[in-house]
Amino acid sequence: MASLRYESQVRNPLVTGTKDYHQITEDIVRPIESKASTLWKIGFAISLLFLGFGVYSVYREVTYGIGEWNLNKTIGWGWDITNFVWWVGIGHAGTLISAILLLFRQGWRTGVNRAAEAMTIFAVMCAGQFPIFHMGRVWMAFFVLPYPNTRGPLWVNFNSPLLWDVFAISTYFTVSLLFWYCGLLPDLATIRDRAKEKWRKHMYGVLAFGWTGSTKHWQRHEALSLVLAGLSTPLVLSVHTIVSFDFATSVIPGWHTTIFPPYFVAGAIFSGFAMVQTLLIITRKVLALEDYITMEHIEVMNKVIVLTGSIVGIAYITELFISWYGQNPYEAAAFKNRWDLSTPYGWSYWLMMSCNVIAPQFFWFRKLRRNLLFTFFMSIIVNVGMWFERFVIIVTSIYRDYIPSSWSTYYAPTIWEVGFYMGTFGLFFTCYFLFSKFFPVIAIAEIKHILKKNGESFKDNMEKEESESVEAFANEYAHH
Amino acid sequence: MEQKKYWQSFGELNNSAAHQKNVQDEFKEDLPFEGLDVQGATTPRRDFLKYVGFSTAAAAIAASCETPVKKAIPFINRPADVIPGVAEYYATTYIAGGDAIPVIAKVRDGRPIKLEGNELASWTKGGTTAQVQSSVLELYDTARVRFPFADKKEVTTFEAFDKMVAGALSGLGGAPVVILSSTINSPSGRQVISEFLAKYPGSRHVQYDGVSYSGMLQANEATYGKRAIPDYQFGNAKVIVSLGADFLGTWLSPVEFQRGYTKGRKIDPANPSMSKHFQFESMLSMTGANADERFTHKPSETAAVAAGLLAAVNGQAVTNLKSDKLKKGIETVAKELAANKGAALVVSGSNDVNVQILVNAINEAVGANGTTVSWGTTNLTRAGIDSDMATFVNELNAGSIGAVIVIDANPAYNYYDAKKFTDGLKKTKVTIALTEKNDETTQLCKYHLPTHNFLESWGDAEPKSGFISLVQPTIAPLFKTRQWQESLLKWSGNTSSFAEYHKNFWTARLGGSDTFLKALQDGVIEAGTATTGTAAFNSAPVVAAVAAAVPAAVKTGVSGKSADVEVLLYQKVSVGDGRHANNPWLQEMPDPITRETWDNYVMMSPALGKALFGIDLDDAKQSDTYEAFPVKPSVTLKAGAQTITLPILLIPGMEENTVAIALGYGRAAEVGKAAANVGQNAFPLATFNGTTVLLQTAGQVTEAAVGAPHKIATTQTHSSYEGRHEVIKEITLNSYKKNPHQIIEARAKELEPWGGLEHYEKDGTIYPVFDKPGIKWGMSIDMNSCYGCGACVVACTAENNVAVVGKPEVLRAHDMHWLRIDRYFTGDIKDPESIQTVFQPMLCQHCDNAPCENVCPVAATNHSSEGLNQMTYNRCIGTRYCANNCPYKVRRFNWADYTGADSFKHNQDELNDVVLMMNDDLTRMVLNPDVTVRSRGVIEKCSFCVQRLQDGKLKAKKANRPLTDSDVKTACQQACAADAIVFGNVNNSQSEVSRTRKENELRLFYSLEQIHVMPNVNYLAKVRNTDRLNAAHGHEEAAPAAAEGAEHGAHH
Repeated sequence: MASLRYESQVRNPLVTGTKDYHQITEDIVRPIESKASTLWKIGFAISLLFLGFGVYSVYREVTYGIGEWNLNKTIGWGWDITNFVWWVGIGHAGTLISAILLLFRQGWRTGVNRAAEAMTIFAVMCAGQFPIFHMGRVWMAFFVLPYPNTRGPLWVNFNSPLLWDVFAISTYFTVSLLFWYCGLLPDLATIRDRAKEKWRKHMYGVLAFGWTGSTKHWQRHEALSLVLAGLSTPLVLSVHTIVSFDFATSVIPGWHTTIFPPYFVAGAIFSGFAMVQTLLIITRKVLALEDYITMEHIEVMNKVIVLTGSIVGIAYITELFISWYGQNPYEAAAFKNRWDLSTPYGWSYWLMMSCNVIAPQFFWFRKLRRNLLFTFFMSIIVNVGMWFERFVIIVTSIYRDYIPSSWSTYYAPTIWEVGFYMGTFGLFFTCYFLFSKFFPVIAIAEIKHILKKNGESFKDNMEKEESESVEAFANEYAHH
Repeated sequence: MEQKKYWQSFGELNNSAAHQKNVQDEFKEDLPFEGLDVQGATTPRRDFLKYVGFSTAAAAIAASCETPVKKAIPFINRPADVIPGVAEYYATTYIAGGDAIPVIAKVRDGRPIKLEGNELASWTKGGTTAQVQSSVLELYDTARVRFPFADKKEVTTFEAFDKMVAGALSGLGGAPVVILSSTINSPSGRQVISEFLAKYPGSRHVQYDGVSYSGMLQANEATYGKRAIPDYQFGNAKVIVSLGADFLGTWLSPVEFQRGYTKGRKIDPANPSMSKHFQFESMLSMTGANADERFTHKPSETAAVAAGLLAAVNGQAVTNLKSDKLKKGIETVAKELAANKGAALVVSGSNDVNVQILVNAINEAVGANGTTVSWGTTNLTRAGIDSDMATFVNELNAGSIGAVIVIDANPAYNYYDAKKFTDGLKKTKVTIALTEKNDETTQLCKYHLPTHNFLESWGDAEPKSGFISLVQPTIAPLFKTRQWQESLLKWSGNTSSFAEYHKNFWTARLGGSDTFLKALQDGVIEAGTATTGTAAFNSAPVVAAVAAAVPAAVKTGVSGKSADVEVLLYQKVSVGDGRHANNPWLQEMPDPITRETWDNYVMMSPALGKALFGIDLDDAKQSDTYEAFPVKPSVTLKAGAQTITLPILLIPGMEENTVAIALGYGRAAEVGKAAANVGQNAFPLATFNGTTVLLQTAGQVTEAAVGAPHKIATTQTHSSYEGRHEVIKEITLNSYKKNPHQIIEARAKELEPWGGLEHYEKDGTIYPVFDKPGIKWGMSIDMNSCYGCGACVVACTAENNVAVVGKPEVLRAHDMHWLRIDRYFTGDIKDPESIQTVFQPMLCQHCDNAPCENVCPVAATNHSSEGLNQMTYNRCIGTRYCANNCPYKVRRFNWADYTGADSFKHNQDELNDVVLMMNDDLTRMVLNPDVTVRSRGVIEKCSFCVQRLQDGKLKAKKANRPLTDSDVKTACQQACAADAIVFGNVNNSQSEVSRTRKENELRLFYSLEQIHVMPNVNYLAKVRNTDRLNAAHGHEEAAPAAAEGAEHGAHH
């Protein structure tokens, strides 16, 4: 029964709850302008505790040496580089959302991009700690910078993938930070303009760089966003490609694999989206932003998770296939040490497989994709799986490599090794808590672009004629 | 105004005469300097000067209390021939009990820092052992006693000490004095002793060896009429049969025997042949691991095996042995012996007189007398007779001994019945120890006058009759010690110093001081070449020996949670009989067989381990678990009245129901930090059969009651090479003779996909290949003459300041050795006879395409123009990427501040005592100033002894001639008594390494050649003189299949 007024069936609205522009600002700025909640305080205190433990763990490592960790003559990298790759991977979702989805004009990204970008920056900060503090002589870390010097001059080794990492990660961090901050400017100005206290006005005034909202500002802002998005897009692919080179360019069976770059990128996006889910499911609940970060967002991201999870799965299976098909006995042995459950690290391979490949397949079901609790659970599972992916690649390849005499004893971390990892969680959440308290977690200006202001409440305010069906109206009219 | 008068005294008021005088004289008394005229002065100028001198000195002393103490002492009065920074070399002799190895001590700025074998000695030709290499560290042992003691109190002067001793010795009332020493083969020392004894009628000298060869000495006395040990000529033997003698590791003169043995083991490429080595033993010894064929038997069957072999050699049936395998083995061996009469040698490690008599009979039957067993010269390294010692201990207990002077003997620790000895010693009135350390016996002595280390002493040794090696000091005594010879001289009334005495002794013998000085410079005096002499054999005792050779009925086998076993005690090549227990270099040197450090343990067969603990090494999962975790189960061993609790290690090749325990552990805390709390003393388990002490017993092992789990620090956990023939190549002699091209063909096959042998360098890479002009250093290691003894490992440690990390760090696989000897087993783990062992020294391969170099972000490791892969320590930031990317896993990381070279405060707080001991100012005197001491957080690895290479090049340059082989020798190469390592410039076609590579082209291979890292170290494949090769997958098969299939044997 056709309605008298034609209703277009395009897609569900991206912002629910019949908001108007003012209401959006009110909703998003509320946490910033109100006092910190008890929940926030508790969370922040716990994060600080973790951070403190991390700082102490690193202090011990720097004072006494890498011997504070359980690495050994065979296993030179363990939790340190595993955590590094893991954190870098997590960062990728933010960049993908903010850059690639912007270029592809995906409107839904505005609900999540600010938080995701913040996550990227914090994750890269955490990631950076590991390659720095895994050095035996961290006080000499500046040697990795190619600066003119009086030692010859003595330059860095441009052949080394670790050096490429230095460039890749620092570029990535810089671009991400600029992109994020540039997006923040109009919102910071909004907070400044609403501020009642003097210090607040001043602080946000400085942070807003004198944004006035003039058309010229907006025009430049849009242009800069596009340029930075263009710069970030290749970084999404290149950063983890280069990280994968740390392994791919080596001679160690299990590391020396050409499949690594795409495999690492897919894995990075996979784990990144999982982390975004973890964070946003909590954020939207705690900050009451369900209208902005809707079930639609969650579902879309779950789709990305199932896609990238399956890509990763194909990569795993390809690796196994090649280890057999390639007829390289050393590679075959390295992979047997993974899939053979009876080997000392067999369990970690199967944990990785079940978390990363099998578990995400549940997201083929729409019901599960839209189940908050299940999504939250899965987001944790995926990140556990992705941590183990890096652990499997790093440790199970080197613990038994070419020379059997050097096959290592079992490697389990010390408390200080775990402490360092926990410390980066502390750093991450400390930053995230501060961010959520002092910055708008959703891009206020951007989300207003996608608000369907006139469409949503129209039905409720329809006049009688408008709500009538064609038949009813015709009938009425005929009997008039 | 009226003048007012103030007065101070009545005198002033009255203005008395006395007051007027006082006012006139300023000073009331005479000044001391009054009357400075020369004579008759009350204070002469001399006194004045005294006062001035005193106050200046007092001021100076008071002021100098504030001056910081500077430890570096400059050569203010530099001796004319000493140039700071240039090493001096002195010929001397390593002395440890009866062991004497001629060495050259390298002395840098007054400190001996390294010992090398003396190449002028014809019998060792510059060979050394791990013990010799490490002994220089014992000079700087922090636990050395630093001054004389009497009744645990310091005696400040030697004169006071001498007085006390003279008093004590004169009050003996005619009771005899006994000098108790280890074997003394020093001619001058023996004369000193006899001169001393002459002063005390009825006195005597008892020689006592911790591990005695009394059985052999007595057997030879019975059959040859000589209480002596002949000279064994392993080099002349085509068939070598060892009945449990570890002649390559610990038996008599391993250096000499390695030299001889190597003669028969080197493969002449033109005419490949080898000696054939059979080993009958109960445990897997290092020598056994090198045997071509091995047979196992119980320790109680030793005599029966010897008798069986004798019977078989004489064409009779083998009796008294249950095992058919063993019987068959004996028959095979007898056939080989009979076929090689005059070129066959049988040796036995047993201390049982009967066994040695049987061995003598066999040697007689196979024509060894005068060919491989030479009586022309005799081996003087061991002279102790067990029954003499037993008599002496009885006399001690009877209280009939007046005084005991202990010289370098420690029965309180290593006598089988130590309690009886100590009880007896306590009853003795005067006990004097002339030992280096406060060891178990010294602690019981009333007087202790510490003797010098051999590097501080004068002396000599005669390890073989007619072959003398002189000892001269290389450093002034570090402490208030006096060498024992001098003390005995003093106490026998001779006023000359021992240095003088020694000089006179040799000058008289050699016929002039010039000859003496020449001998001192050379270090050795040889009468001529060793002559192969024979001795008349008396076969009478053989019959009785055969009759006695019935195996005792020793119950063995598992019953429930315990097992009846036979126990064998053995010496490790590292700490030996315990004399070297406080040497961290030796404690940290991995055992050749078990690859274990810092402990002794119960070596057990995997079968027994399975029965007792359910550890099945054939099961991959269980064997992984066993390998992965250092915690091992402990057992309590009950043998007679003795109980000992130790962890176990499962070692394939052990006789099923025999366990073996190393001697030399469980030392007293006073011996030093490295020796304390390490292992248990196994000497009390030894048994006395009425004639000799046997290092075997029977007992019962039970799983130890709960306690702290015991961790064993092994440096290698996986023992199979997993059929990886790219890593290890071995072949049998017959197969090699049939087709000598097998190895090179296998290589060609491996490299086929990348251009084959010819074009591999170019076609195996997408990068351009560069010329390598000038010097290119290379090394060749012959796996056929590497016996795993570890002399090279310790030499490397000493030369390159390799840090000691202590047991807790070895447990975490943080050991720092630049050179290691990988040991792999092949064969069926359940069948001890099937086990074959291979040793592969592994060090930085100095790859042309080094994978470590391109991954370092800061270029801290790079390539020299001479082909060295070099480390720049001060550029290293410690990412460990290079170590991960090293296919050979030879790079070592400084996980903690092991050396004290780091500038962080208190960062050594958590390190082991032993590490701190190595960082003591005294111990650090051993460091080689030419090699950087690495700080925490950097990677280090083998440098091919680059400091020696630089030195050698400079030497050649100064002499304006091209570099020759003799200019450069790496430390490992120089230490090796078997010449397994050849080093030099491979770009010089005439160098030894080039010639070795060319001549042995058919046996040559590079480890992991197929990954195109282009190593500069090559190996020569191991050839076994047997028909059987365990490696399940031969070279004929495709390499992938070979490496994929793990061998079922030797998982462990």
